Amino acid sequence: MEAVAAKLPVAYGERQARAATAFLSPALLVVSIMLVAPLLLVIRFSLNRYDPQELMIEAFTGANYLRFVSDPFYVAVLRTTLGVAFATTVICLLLGLPMAYRLARMTSRWKTFCMLCIVLPLFVSSVVRMVGWMILFAHGGVIDNLARWVTGNGLELMFTPFAVVMGIVSVNLPYVVLTVQSTIETIDPRVEEAAQSLGAAPGRSFWRVVWPLALPGIAIAGILCFILAMNAYATPYLLGGPRFQMMAPLIYQVFTNNNDWPFASAMAIILMATTLVLTAGSSLLIPRRYRG
Amino acid sequence: MSRLQLDRLGKSYGTSVVVDSVSLDIAQGEMVVLLGPSGCGKTTTLRMIAGFVAASSGDIRLDGSSILNLPPYKRDLGLVFQSYALFPHLSVARNVAFGLEMRGVARAAREARVAEMLRLARLEALAERLPKQLSGGQQQRVALARALAIEPRVLLLDEPLSNLDAALRGEVGRDIRLLQRESGLTTIMVTHDQDEAMAMADRLVVMKDGRVQQTGTQEDLYERPATPFVAGFIGRSNMLPGTLTNGMVVAGDATLRLAGQFAGTGACTLALRPERLSLAPAGTDGPGTAPGIVELASYLGPVREYLVRLGQDVRVLVRDTTARPTPLLAAGEAVTIQWDTGAERLFDAADAPMPCLQDDPTEARITHHV
Repeated sequence: MEAVAAKLPVAYGERQARAATAFLSPALLVVSIMLVAPLLLVIRFSLNRYDPQELMIEAFTGANYLRFVSDPFYVAVLRTTLGVAFATTVICLLLGLPMAYRLARMTSRWKTFCMLCIVLPLFVSSVVRMVGWMILFAHGGVIDNLARWVTGNGLELMFTPFAVVMGIVSVNLPYVVLTVQSTIETIDPRVEEAAQSLGAAPGRSFWRVVWPLALPGIAIAGILCFILAMNAYATPYLLGGPRFQMMAPLIYQVFTNNNDWPFASAMAIILMATTLVLTAGSSLLIPRRYRG
Repeated sequence: MSRLQLDRLGKSYGTSVVVDSVSLDIAQGEMVVLLGPSGCGKTTTLRMIAGFVAASSGDIRLDGSSILNLPPYKRDLGLVFQSYALFPHLSVARNVAFGLEMRGVARAAREARVAEMLRLARLEALAERLPKQLSGGQQQRVALARALAIEPRVLLLDEPLSNLDAALRGEVGRDIRLLQRESGLTTIMVTHDQDEAMAMADRLVVMKDGRVQQTGTQEDLYERPATPFVAGFIGRSNMLPGTLTNGMVVAGDATLRLAGQFAGTGACTLALRPERLSLAPAGTDGPGTAPGIVELASYLGPVREYLVRLGQDVRVLVRDTTARPTPLLAAGEAVTIQWDTGAERLFDAADAPMPCLQDDPTEARITHHV
């Protein structure tokens, strides 16, 4: 009987795997044309040479990469980008985790309302939302005037790291909350009750039971947030301005203003590689038994 | 190991009353089963005892002192859930050790206790497995071992057998009963399954619509049901609404002569146990009889089951359990159904049992809660 039981799922699994491949192939095709091909092109461009007259000259050189790592300005921008991405991820997780937990454990009709409140900002373009932040942060803006009224001194937050981090947090938070919430919802609330009946106070039951079980989802949320922050464009462009530079707006600037396609390509590859390496590395932080 | 008292315990959400003034006194070492259909308030009652649902009124006392204001993690109660609710990321041994860790039991003592519990639950070989690698029955034993490891004052079982297949149910049920009896644990179990309840309980509490219908032993409930609901829920009963006059119940156009003497007249419900009815030749007369015609006859091996029509739309089920190999009666045959005082139960218009004037000294023991 055990042999039969052991055999059946394998055959079923194989059939399922084949079906999954069939279902995935159209998406795979689109992705390879729309994503992989341009990516290969960018890699190729990054090895070309730039000339102010001829613009891009076919070549096979690592000069663009060398230029990036040897110029303190660009390295500093990459470092800033990393710092903002880390800060954003930490803040998003700190804010998002309690929200996600509360939301996942809600059963009343308020849940739909709360879910809507979290999803709703996603309906508004991030550029529009940034304009909102600009009104708050700008010289003569709401916060500035309020500070002047209370303390006598103005408080200008525009073009500061704070403004950029706040902006990206507001963009990324819904993704983090929704990702973590869906993971926590898969955890049987009875498991927490069991922990409590065994003498674990709510905080302890959270750390001993919910946290380890939600860790894969929390990690995914963190990675998602980190990637989004690393590649943020509109927010740093509008709230960081010329004073606070991050990678994505800088790449765009090099690409369009300077028409330096090879160097912009190299920068893009460096940004992507950094993000990928850190993302892959972060999964090593999760103990193996908790992984997916 | 404690005495648990529920004192007029109630729970309502807004205007809807889920549990209505439930009082219960459970002696040390007793196993009490709360039994009722879904939505009868039995699970809410259990969750109030566990502390996951706040009571709206009344009190819960453990050894005389109220536990109502204690959070769940300070109540010292062992809980076993229908879904087992094992910690999926912890091994069997660590699941069982969890409560001891929370109590700060030293490592050596903890390991000894875990080993003892695993041995009691016959899980030694599975100590390092994860819950998902176990069968349902094994998971249930882990849940039980985990709850018992902390030596709880009271054990609470929420539908512990419902997720098991029928073959395992009896076995795990007996395991639970043996462990419970050996450890002398005061236990409350909740179930909707009558057979399960009858097999495991010292005492049963039948609930309906948030109220206790009857509390008593299996025999009390079966022989002396306090309401028509209990008569129909514990075992089976033919329910015949009618009018009582002169020792007869007139139900529709059928007339049944009662076996016992009942005082009073007026609207009533007659409950007759199918297995306590027998068939006699047509024309038989006397107390506890009614004429009828066999409508359906089924031969079920140990039992012959007849649907007998007593009148227009008045039918009773007769389960003939006589050991004699009598031939199966044919449909259409005229018969007389016959019974004695033990088969019948009469309820008045308010669903209260009407006392039988003859004998039966046990009658006085019934507690009626409605």
